[in-house]
Amino acid sequence: MINDKNTQKLVDVIQNWARKHSIWVLAYGTGCGAIEIPPTMTSRYDAERLGVRGAATPRQADVLLITGYLTTKTLKRVIRVYEQMQDPKYVIGFGSCTINGGMYYDSYNTIKVLDKYLPVDVYINGCMPRPEAVLAGFGKLQELIAAGKADGAKKYKENLDWYRENQKRIIPNWVMPDYNW
Amino acid sequence: MQELKQKLTANIKAAYPEIKEKDYPGNRLDFTVDKQYLVSILTYLKESLGYIHLSHIACVDWLEEGEFEVIFILWSPEEKLKVFLRVRVDRENPVMPNVDMIWRQANTYEREMREMFGIQFEGLEAPEEFVLEDWQGPPPMRRDFDTESYANETFFHRPGREDALDVREEIIKRSREEIPDFAKKYSR
Repeated sequence: MINDKNTQKLVDVIQNWARKHSIWVLAYGTGCGAIEIPPTMTSRYDAERLGVRGAATPRQADVLLITGYLTTKTLKRVIRVYEQMQDPKYVIGFGSCTINGGMYYDSYNTIKVLDKYLPVDVYINGCMPRPEAVLAGFGKLQELIAAGKADGAKKYKENLDWYRENQKRIIPNWVMPDYNW
Repeated sequence: MQELKQKLTANIKAAYPEIKEKDYPGNRLDFTVDKQYLVSILTYLKESLGYIHLSHIACVDWLEEGEFEVIFILWSPEEKLKVFLRVRVDRENPVMPNVDMIWRQANTYEREMREMFGIQFEGLEAPEEFVLEDWQGPPPMRRDFDTESYANETFFHRPGREDALDVREEIIKRSREEIPDFAKKYSR
């Protein structure tokens, strides 16, 4: 009965509906974008009405919010944080720096295109994006989750070799544990 | 203050005749010394003349002259004078005496200069890496290091959209205004 295709579909719909309304965010404040998170979370824009709230540790979080530029040093920590997170997990790239480098396009120590290293589900552009844009980004993520299209984690598992190759170009001394989700 | 400055200059001149001094307005004095006298003159300033506070160690890359200039900035809380002590080292083989036995905090500055400019300090006891992790390129703060080409080689690049417009020209076309002269150099 459970292995039936139609039953699985129904379970997926219910699961996705539940996941959509409970997004726990690990705000990884890598850059200046972290300053837009307090106004988004507090009473004026009140992201909690959408079910968006902060999580204390990577293992409790659903969404990794990468706010701003990533230096080669921070990338190592972000990869480690992302791999510790448990399914379902999503990544939001926040600000121009994660999209094409932004104002750090010529920096010797800042990566430019985040989705070569981690699977990004939603990008929010702007330098900085205002809280309205952040909420719109979360709305988009909710739509994707409800439609079952936010499959970044699945993509990451399937193409792990490709992601690892890109990551090891930046991090030559790879001394990280392997997580077997 | 002028009396204090003259007294200090006379004191240092008496001990180190080769030193070149330059006067600046305010409470600032400026000396250029040879590398071999650096440790003794810093010790003399700290132990005998009361310049006990090391404010900063800076480095300037004089690419055209083929030299690095390392600047020690000292402060005397009694005389309220700043002393700038400049040392020139060769750019090809930059080796400096280590001064972290005089001020322990100089160790941090020296590690940073070693990483960012590639200046070697004799007998510096510190781990190889300071701020940069897994760094493979040349020292990044040297002026002949091209950050943009390094970034393009090392990191992925996302090309811009083909239909992207020049914002400044587009606004001007729509509102039919002239570009002011100071803004011309910024447009494509």
